[in-house]
Amino acid sequence: MSDPVFTPLRFRNLEVANRIFRSSIAGRFDGWDGSGQQTRINWEVRFARAGVGGIVSAWCGVDRRGLIVPGYAAIERDGRIPFWRELGKRVHEHGAKYLLQLAHAGRQRDIPGIEFRTGLSSTGKSDPLHGFEAERATSAQLEEITRAFAAAARRAREAGLDGVEIHGANGYLFTQFLSSAINDRKDEYGGALENRARLLIETVRAVRESVGDDFHLQVKISATERANAFLFWLRRGNTIADSVQVSRWLEEAGADAIHISAGSTFPHPLNPAGGLPLREVRDNYDGLISSGVHAFRNYLLYRTPLVNRLMQRRWERPASSVEGANLADARAIKEAVGIPVLCTGGFQTASVVRAALERGDCDAVTIARPLIANPDLLELWRAGHDQPPRPCSYCNKCLFNLLEHPLACYDERRFESREAMLEQAYAVFDPPPFASLM
Amino acid sequence: MSASDPTVIFEPLRFRALEVKNRVFRSSLAGRFNNYDGTGNQAHVNWDLKFARGGVGAIISSNAPVHPRGLIVPNYAHIDRDETVPFWREVVRRVHEHDCKYLVQLAFSGRQRDLGGIQFEKGWSSTDKPEPVHGLRCERMTVDQIHDLVGCFAQGARRAREAGADGVEVHGCNGYLITSFLSPAINTRKDEYGGSLENRARFALEIVRAIRAEVGADYHLQFKISAVDYGRDLIPWAAKGTMLDESIQVCRWLEEAGVDAFHISSGSSFPHPRNPAGGFPVKDVVRGYDTMISSGRHTFRNYLLFRFWPFNRVFKWAWERTAKGRVEGINLADCRAIKQAVSVPVLCTGGFQTASVVAAAIARGDCDGVTIARPLIANPNLVELWRAGHDVPPRPCTYSNKCLINQLENPLGCYDQSRFDSREAMIAEILSVYEPPQFT
Repeated sequence: MSDPVFTPLRFRNLEVANRIFRSSIAGRFDGWDGSGQQTRINWEVRFARAGVGGIVSAWCGVDRRGLIVPGYAAIERDGRIPFWRELGKRVHEHGAKYLLQLAHAGRQRDIPGIEFRTGLSSTGKSDPLHGFEAERATSAQLEEITRAFAAAARRAREAGLDGVEIHGANGYLFTQFLSSAINDRKDEYGGALENRARLLIETVRAVRESVGDDFHLQVKISATERANAFLFWLRRGNTIADSVQVSRWLEEAGADAIHISAGSTFPHPLNPAGGLPLREVRDNYDGLISSGVHAFRNYLLYRTPLVNRLMQRRWERPASSVEGANLADARAIKEAVGIPVLCTGGFQTASVVRAALERGDCDAVTIARPLIANPDLLELWRAGHDQPPRPCSYCNKCLFNLLEHPLACYDERRFESREAMLEQAYAVFDPPPFASLM
Repeated sequence: MSASDPTVIFEPLRFRALEVKNRVFRSSLAGRFNNYDGTGNQAHVNWDLKFARGGVGAIISSNAPVHPRGLIVPNYAHIDRDETVPFWREVVRRVHEHDCKYLVQLAFSGRQRDLGGIQFEKGWSSTDKPEPVHGLRCERMTVDQIHDLVGCFAQGARRAREAGADGVEVHGCNGYLITSFLSPAINTRKDEYGGSLENRARFALEIVRAIRAEVGADYHLQFKISAVDYGRDLIPWAAKGTMLDESIQVCRWLEEAGVDAFHISSGSSFPHPRNPAGGFPVKDVVRGYDTMISSGRHTFRNYLLFRFWPFNRVFKWAWERTAKGRVEGINLADCRAIKQAVSVPVLCTGGFQTASVVAAAIARGDCDGVTIARPLIANPNLVELWRAGHDVPPRPCTYSNKCLINQLENPLGCYDQSRFDSREAMIAEILSVYEPPQFT
C-alpha cells in the first residue's frame, strides 16, 4: 500500500505532490518597506528543494496599515509582482506549489513602523497583552480592506503563483472580528457569529470574484481561540462549534480548503505551542517596548526573577503534547465541510502524520518549526526515520530570535557546536544579491 | 575674490592618486539597508545614488566592516569577504554614472558595537574594559589577532580596488577600534601596542602600510581621525583622551606611511556631543534605544534615564551644551592645526551646509574640502542649491539628530517633521530609498 503521506492531494483547482505543506513562516529577510529580496527566495527554495508539496508564503501584508513587522515582503501594490514572480519561478523549479498568504495585522502589529500610529481593528481597545493601540475601523475602511485583499489576490495570480491563503487566524484582523472575546461592535460586523464572520466572508467572496473560479483559495482559521489561556481574566473567545459554522460559511463563499490553527493571538500558548525561552524573550522583546502601552511593563516582568518563571509556567506546554494538538479540531471541521482540511501544529513524526491522514482528521499537514529544524524532514521520513534524529524541541527560540536575528533554529543542543548553529542560520544569505555580477 | 566666494567649492580637488570634481564629499553614513550577514542590497545602491545625483564630488561609503566581528549593527554592507565584491562593484558603477567618485570606508567597530548580533558575544578592543556609556563588553586583542586584523584591512582595500572604487578611507576615529588603540583614555595595554604615543599609533600605522603594500602606490588612501577626543564633554570627571598635539604627531607618521589625505572628525565615542553635534531628541531616543537594551551592561539604566523626567532633561542639557550654537564647522580649528602640520589635503566634517562658511574655510586654508552627512540627508541636492545661489538651503538641516537615532529601527532618512509640509511627505521621502526595488 502506498504511503498516504506521499500521495498527491487534489483540491478543486490545484494538485500537490504530497500531503506536506511548509506552513507560513516569515523572518525579516526583506526590505523595511516590504519589498522582496533575494534572501526570501533563498529561504523558500530551501523547502521546495526538500520536497514539500506546497509552501504557504510568509505572512504577506495586503495593505500598509496592516503590516505586522518591517522586513516582511508585502503585496500591497502592483510593483511587488516582479519579486513574487521570481520567487514563484524558483520554487516551481523544484516541483513545489506556492500559495501566498494574504494578511492584515489589524491591531496586532508587533513592530508598527513609522507610518501609522494605530492599527485598524474591530474595536478601539488596545490588545490586552502588549497594548498595541487600535482604532475601530469604519464600514468604509472595511470595504477598502476587502478591496485590498481582492487586489492582492489578483497580483498573486498575475505573479504566476498557485493560490492564496487568507489569514483568518492567530489574532490578526479577521480574528479580531471573529472573536467574541475581542469584537465589541454593535453594527453589522459585531454581535452574532454571523456578523462577526461577515468581514471574512465578504473578503472571501471579493477575492473569489477577483481571481475567478479556477484559482486556489484557502482560508486559515483558529478553530479554538482560548483567549484566556495566558491572561486568565479575559473571556474564552470562539470555540470549535463557532468555527465549524464559520467553516461551512467559508465553503459556501468559495473557499477551496480550510487550514486549521489555534489561538486568539500570535504568539499564543496553543500556537506555536511549546517553550517560552526567557533569555531569548528578554533579549529580543526590548525592541518591542515602544510598540505597545503595556510592553514596558511586560519587559520588566520578563526581567524579574520568579515572576518570569511564573509567566513561563503559565505559557509553556510540554513538548510531548505539541504534535498534532489541533487534530481533534481539524477532524470536527473536516466532518462538517466537503473541501480538504489542512492542519498545523508541530508535526514531525511520520507515523503521527500517517495516522492522522488515515483516520481522516485532515487531508494534509502544514509544518513550520520542525522544518526549520530539519528542512530535509521528508527525506528523513522517506529514508525510514519515524522522527528526525535531531527533532525540533519546540523551544520557540526561532520565534523570538527572528525579531532581531535571521530566522533559523537557535536550539544549540541540536548542533555539534555554536558555530555549526550559526552556519545554519547564515546559510539563508547564500547566494547574496548581485551574485551574478561576480 | 572674497573669502566667501562660493566658486572655490566647485574647483576640482587633486589628491596624489585621485581627482574629485569639487570640494564636497558625502561623509560616511549608514542605514540598515542590507542583509544581516553584511551582503549588500539594492536599497543601499539607491541610497548612495541620491547623493551622486545631487552633485557631490565623492561619496565615502557607509562603515564597511573588514571582518564580521567588526560590525557596529547588523545590516550594514561589509567588505569582509570576496563574495561582497560584486555588490560594491554595482554601487561604484552606478555612482560613477553621475561623475562622482566613490571611496570605501574600511572599518572595525571594536567594543563599540551598538547591536552586536549573534555571531560574536563580545567585540575586540585594545582593552578588556567595557565601553563606558552603554557597557558594551569586549575582549582585549592578542598580538596575533592584531596582526591578522591588519591583514583584513589590507584585504578590504584590495576588494575595494577590485570593485572599481576610487580609493579607501581607514576609519580611525569616533571610538571605534583604531581610536581604542590611539586614545590614552581607552588603551590600557602594556605591550608594544600600548603606553607611549608611538606604541598606541602602531596599529594604525601597520594598517596603513599593509594597505599600501597590498594596493600599490597609485591608489587613493585616506585616514579619518578624531583630532581631539574631548573625553570630558559629557562626563566632566572622565579622562581627557587624545589631545591635538598627539594627533598632529600621528598624522605626520601616517603621512610618512603613505596616507594621501586626512579626514578630521572629533570625539572618543560615537555618538559624542561634538559628533554628530546637535540635538538629543528625547522622544525619538526612547522609541529607538529600547532595542539596544540587550546590548550592554548599562543600557537598561540608560533607557530608564532617557525615559523618565527629569533625568532625560538633565541628560539632554548635558549632551547639547558643548556644541550649542556652533555645530557648523565645529572641527575647523582642529582641522587647521593638522593641515598646517601635513602636506597632503585635509578634509573636515561637521554640519556644513552654508556655502559661505565652506568657501571661507577653504579660502582660509582650514581644509581643502568638506565632508557632509546630516545636511545631505536633509537636502541631497545641497550642492545644486549652492550652485543656484542659495547660501543655505531653504529648509536646512536642524541638527536634531533624529536621523541618527531612528536608523536603528527605521530606514535612515530625515525625521525632522518641521522640515516637511506634512508627516506623509516626510515618510514618502524616507521610503523613497526603496525605489527601485531589487526585482523590477
